[in-house]
Amino acid sequence: MRYIKLPSENFEKFFKSLGEWGTMYAPVKRGSIYSFQEVHSPAEIALDYNRTMLPPKKFFFRPREAILRLKNGRWEEEVEAEPMVLFGLHSCDIHGLKILDKVYLDEPADPYYKSRREKTLIIGISCMPDEYCFCKSLGTHFAMDGFDLFLHELPDGWLVRIGSVRGHEIAWENGELFEEVTDEDLANFKEFEEKRAKAFQKELPQEGLADMLDLAYNSPVWKKYADICLACGNCNMVCPTCRCYEVCDRWMDAYKAVRERRYDSCFMENHGLVAGGHNFRPTRLDRFRHRYYCKSYFDPSAGYNCVGCGRCDEFCPAKIEHVKVLEEVRGSLK
Amino acid sequence: MSENPYMTYNARILEVKDLTSREKLFTLRFLDPEVGANFNFKPGQFVIVDIRGFGEFPISICSSPTRKGYLQLCIRKVGRMTKFIHKMKEGDIIGIRGPYGNGFPMEEMEGSNLILVAGGLGMAPLRSVLWYAIDTGKYENVWLLYGTKAYEDILFRDEIIHLLKHGEAMNCSVKLAYEVESPSCIYLERGFSDRVCKGVVTDLFRGEEFDVNNTYALICGPPVMYKFVIRELLDRKLSPGRIYMTLERRMRCGIGKCGHCIVGTSTSIKYVCKDGPVFTYWDALSTRGLI
Repeated sequence: MRYIKLPSENFEKFFKSLGEWGTMYAPVKRGSIYSFQEVHSPAEIALDYNRTMLPPKKFFFRPREAILRLKNGRWEEEVEAEPMVLFGLHSCDIHGLKILDKVYLDEPADPYYKSRREKTLIIGISCMPDEYCFCKSLGTHFAMDGFDLFLHELPDGWLVRIGSVRGHEIAWENGELFEEVTDEDLANFKEFEEKRAKAFQKELPQEGLADMLDLAYNSPVWKKYADICLACGNCNMVCPTCRCYEVCDRWMDAYKAVRERRYDSCFMENHGLVAGGHNFRPTRLDRFRHRYYCKSYFDPSAGYNCVGCGRCDEFCPAKIEHVKVLEEVRGSLK
Repeated sequence: MSENPYMTYNARILEVKDLTSREKLFTLRFLDPEVGANFNFKPGQFVIVDIRGFGEFPISICSSPTRKGYLQLCIRKVGRMTKFIHKMKEGDIIGIRGPYGNGFPMEEMEGSNLILVAGGLGMAPLRSVLWYAIDTGKYENVWLLYGTKAYEDILFRDEIIHLLKHGEAMNCSVKLAYEVESPSCIYLERGFSDRVCKGVVTDLFRGEEFDVNNTYALICGPPVMYKFVIRELLDRKLSPGRIYMTLERRMRCGIGKCGHCIVGTSTSIKYVCKDGPVFTYWDALSTRGLI
């Protein structure tokens, strides 16, 4: 890793230079929630945000998009993506994108996702956890890769970690904006990280978690929470690693149609429904449990399907807490 | 060829044949000969059928790769999409993408006995195995145990009756179980009293013994069938690793992206479309919810 320093007074110039790469998106405050939106100046950005409602997956895997267009009986595709800069991603969201990458870039790669991913600069930014965050338990509180540049807040600027060749290019082209990192900066960085590590309020113990949950398949705790759950699918929509989609064809006029895909949720009754009416997950309990198993699946090469961002807790209308459910399920094992 | 995995290739419907009142057999050929030549599949694999402007659905291939130049799909009329394709005629064009999934390990099973256990529509993917085994002649003996509702529901009835009569010459032995009595069934039962009976598919195991060290079982049928068939096979000491089954799930994309066919728990998530649809019983033992 290469480390450089961006002094506070050069931030605006640095921000402008990034704008030359492509359309800039960053967290902004809309009412009481944060959201990634197009921005034109640093003043618009809410750098102190904790989490946006929709994670940055929306830029690569769209809530709703046309994948093919039918014209005169032939399918046409539009894969070309616009260059983008995603500014201010937190470490958990960078890990979330890495999990999506594993699915969408795995052969055969999804061409829409791939094209957008290749044309997007990822600029990470450090954060302080709130009462919902449990990324530290999952090891996603610090990103070692998956970004071009990562900015860590210092009292008088930013410690910048360079994570890719493109990141090096940006630093190279804007050499006059950066300085060498001093011992004082390193001490500040260390102090910040230590303070942050102590700030986590929520913890999800890892030991044997995947096996314990599997063993607790018939735990009454699943039912207890499935009864509270509204099955609205909100947790799926806001989750940075949920990626189920549904496809449907829609006619525009007598000659044109589009094949669209849109976010789907495993809480919907027809998620496991097959032709003939057989449903592989017929009850809300089945569907509730399925989501928790999917999120808690441990892939030896990629870790869990959950990054501990806390969105599912914050935006759950039934106030179900992810960590609490898992803890109770594990605890129900006698 | 397009690199977009969601793009489908034009195929012409060469023939539409009524199999039963609900199922039709569609024989297809790709319009582009190059696409057709590159379309290599294994028994047990499936394709996604695309009716432009109306949608897509997955369907298993029921023809054998040994019979080149065409592709056959047995489609039951159960929903909006299948109702639509049932109205299509010879000469109409549909889209096909695939083949998807892993298929049965035909090469690994060479030289062994095969027991195919089919229930209802489960006959469709197993027909691909059946003709592959007969055409290649690389398997010791092939048994087909087929459970059907009624005489009118027997899929590929002509072929099944032909094999009942002449299967011996092809090392193929067919047994049939039906649930609803009818004059045709009774007539069949009289003609082949040792191989046709009233009952369910597991009744066909009665009196059957096989060399467990040289036999593989391949199962396809409605979800309820697997447990009972597997019990019969395990009772005869067949290893779970020699029991293959092909499963149905809601496969939308076919390539492990859309997430509808995910099964399993925190220790064993599987995509039926790409990790399956063919699984062994070992897989079922380690993946909850598979059967």
